[in-house]
Amino acid sequence: MKRLLSGVVDAIKAKSIQFIITTSFTLVTVLVVLFVGVMLYSKFTETAEQNAYLNTQQILEQVKYNLDSYLNGTTQIFELVDDKIRRSQGVALEKLTEQLEAIVETRKDIVSIAVFSRTGELLIGTPAKPMRKNSELAEQSWFQSAVADPNNLSFSLPHIQNLFKGEYTWVVSMSRGITIKGDRGDIPAVLLVDVNFKEIDDLCQRVGLGKKGYVYIIDLVGNIVYHPQQQLVYVGLKNENRSLPLRYSYGSYVDDSGGEQRLITIKTVDQLGWKIIGVSYMDEIATMKSEISRFLIWLLCFVFVIVLLLLSYISAKISRPIMMLERSMERVEQGDFTVNEPIRGCHEVEQLSARFHLMMAKVRELMNQIIREQEAKRKSELEVLQAQIHPHFLYNTLNSVVRMVGIGKNEDVITTITSLSKLFRISLSRGKSIITVQEEIEHVRNYLIIQKMRYKQKFEYEIEAREEVLACKTLKLLLQPIVENAIYHGIEPMADPGHIRISASLCEGKLLFVVQDNGLGMPPHVREQVLAGGYKSEGGSGVGIQNVNERIRLTFGEEYGLEIESELEVGTTVKVWLPYLRDDEQEG
Amino acid sequence: METIKRYVIYTLLLAVAVAAFTFCDSRLDEAHPGRKKTVALIVRMKHGDYWRTVKLGAETAAKEYDLNLNFYAPDYEEDTQTQMELLRQAALDGYDALVVAPSGDRVLQEAIALTNPRVPIITLDTEGQQTAVKSYIGTDNYDMGKKACEKMIQLIGKSGQIALMGTGRSTANAVSRERGVRDVIAGEKHVELVSAEYGKLDKKLVGELTRDLFQHYPEIQGIIALDASTAVDVAEEIEKMGLQEKIKIVAIDNPSEVLEYLQEGVISATIIQKPFSMGYLGVKYALDASEGRPVPSRVDTGTKVIDRENMFWSENQKLLFPFVK
Repeated sequence: MKRLLSGVVDAIKAKSIQFIITTSFTLVTVLVVLFVGVMLYSKFTETAEQNAYLNTQQILEQVKYNLDSYLNGTTQIFELVDDKIRRSQGVALEKLTEQLEAIVETRKDIVSIAVFSRTGELLIGTPAKPMRKNSELAEQSWFQSAVADPNNLSFSLPHIQNLFKGEYTWVVSMSRGITIKGDRGDIPAVLLVDVNFKEIDDLCQRVGLGKKGYVYIIDLVGNIVYHPQQQLVYVGLKNENRSLPLRYSYGSYVDDSGGEQRLITIKTVDQLGWKIIGVSYMDEIATMKSEISRFLIWLLCFVFVIVLLLLSYISAKISRPIMMLERSMERVEQGDFTVNEPIRGCHEVEQLSARFHLMMAKVRELMNQIIREQEAKRKSELEVLQAQIHPHFLYNTLNSVVRMVGIGKNEDVITTITSLSKLFRISLSRGKSIITVQEEIEHVRNYLIIQKMRYKQKFEYEIEAREEVLACKTLKLLLQPIVENAIYHGIEPMADPGHIRISASLCEGKLLFVVQDNGLGMPPHVREQVLAGGYKSEGGSGVGIQNVNERIRLTFGEEYGLEIESELEVGTTVKVWLPYLRDDEQEG
Repeated sequence: METIKRYVIYTLLLAVAVAAFTFCDSRLDEAHPGRKKTVALIVRMKHGDYWRTVKLGAETAAKEYDLNLNFYAPDYEEDTQTQMELLRQAALDGYDALVVAPSGDRVLQEAIALTNPRVPIITLDTEGQQTAVKSYIGTDNYDMGKKACEKMIQLIGKSGQIALMGTGRSTANAVSRERGVRDVIAGEKHVELVSAEYGKLDKKLVGELTRDLFQHYPEIQGIIALDASTAVDVAEEIEKMGLQEKIKIVAIDNPSEVLEYLQEGVISATIIQKPFSMGYLGVKYALDASEGRPVPSRVDTGTKVIDRENMFWSENQKLLFPFVK
């Protein structure tokens, strides 16, 4: 589990520049957008709520205004009719009726104009239609209120006009007491003007508050004047709380009695005290709210995706060259100093890369310099070593000479001393490290002469050099340590007479020296040690075989050097591979 | 080269994101109006206060619940053929719930055949015999017949001869009403149902039948008319004969002619239905059913006995005169 988690973290590279840039910037952007979104949301919804509220207020104000002006208009008509009837006292009834008919014709919303006596008898009436039976007009509210308060104009609730034959019509009855001059003096009567309710009904029906909202009107005591769902209210399918609006003449409040939140707005018609009540549904505002919030959520998602894409692109652009730089550094760390490709990217990284490569070039140069210096130093050290002949050898040789002088072998003394002097001459070679094959062979021959003297003819030797190689170049003192080894470790411990064979030839375009003895030979592990330099002979010249090998490789390269074959009781063959260099091609 | 490829990929991704956003945004805008439910309402006739009131009720519900209402009606009542065509038209227009007042069982069968079994069907006014119907909303016609008969018995002072006048069509509603009348009479010892005549909605025939009734049963005190049209025809004949003081008529429904005769005193009482409630509840329950809410399988919208006394009471005025003209 832990490994899985760390694997995921590794995969994301939680600390990478790309990740940090992308996440932090995305986070910041999302936070900002979220903040702005929330601000916008609250501002929007607040404004929307206020607008809804204001809108309702304005619509209701409009309804109130229209209703007021309509009722004023009808009141004027009533006054006009009243005036006409008052002034036409004594005028023939037919003429008055004609005038009233003219009014009814001009105003389509006037259904009828009539004057009734207190007993309910029709005195004047237009349009001229027969009365219905059983209308019981004396029981009707408009008649009763006109009788009760003859001086004030009263408006009835909308009701069915059932006085005259013809269509049953919804009307609002305006009525007031009036005095008619009759044959037997003044008759108190009731003037009735019926106004078609359709005008008001249409006015209210046209009003919509949102999708579901509506407007209704109640009178002073709470009777419904207009309600779009009046039938439902009467049947009981709908419950409209009319007691609360009744208490206020204007204002608004939120009502949630019916399970739904509804904004109730109240206005009062000046003339009649009718209350116009607007009902708008809060859930419509809530729907708008949720629409806005959904829009904002989408916007947020969109911004998130865009920002993520954009930032991953930008951060990749920034971090990619850095990653490339890191990779090339990693290669350097693993020892590859050859990295040299320039990295393209932003200015800083390019600069960094250029500096890094400059630095690498310098490092490379320094390292090469060190290698060169080290090689030179080692070579000179080795040359110093090879230049010294072990004092022990010199001491042994001189001892032999003294012994030879003692026994009077002057010939031998001369030979030995001559050889020794030649040996030294070639050893020194005026400080040169490269000599000819001929000189090298001369050197080893003199060495063998001296050793043969010392070991009293214990071994025979044989030197064989091809004519064409004599003029070739070779490092000096290559063969002497090999021969010394052959004598000390191969032949000296042996009872039988030894034999050393030295040859110089060309083989596969290389110069090849072979030193062969028939001595004891050596086991493979010793052979390995000899080449690796872990095996030191005592009493030798002090120049180990591995030194020879190293010198050759330092001077000519890895493809040259020593090769040892050895078999116990059979002998050892040492091959020395050198480049084939002619005298005229090489300067010491 | 690779950079160009990368640029192309990023540009494409950006384009996809913008496209997705605009798509979601536009879908968001359309989502709300598009999800509005549609209720198809098919009634028996385009004209007549009764059906217009049904429509008014349905429209009120449609506004309140914010849904589309498709209204279909033939020009004449009992026009089964046209109603079936309208059903097909409605199916073409599509609906989430069907409210139908079938003029015959064939119409209802067609409606069931045309409608996806998951889409609820609600019958209005006329109860069908089909089990696939989710709900019936309308008048309990048996109860209506009973009420008419009870009112008549009350009017004639619990004893005397009465007659029954129907259409003669064997529609479910008419049959139920007649059964209601007969069941009540069966329980009354002093009231006798002397005749049951069927006027076939023919004005002349109704007149003749009415006159015949008086020739055969001069002592008859009341006539129950089981539908509005017959009631008007009977009332006219009675008025012509000048017998309105002697004969009580109980009618059904409230067309303006019936109401005029009611005020004149020719018709003594009428039993009214509540078509506004039918239309309103029909659409309301159709919506409920289409949204998976439980609806009652039978809704009695109720009836009311109206006589001259109470016809102008303010709570009855809106029932009797639903339209402001």
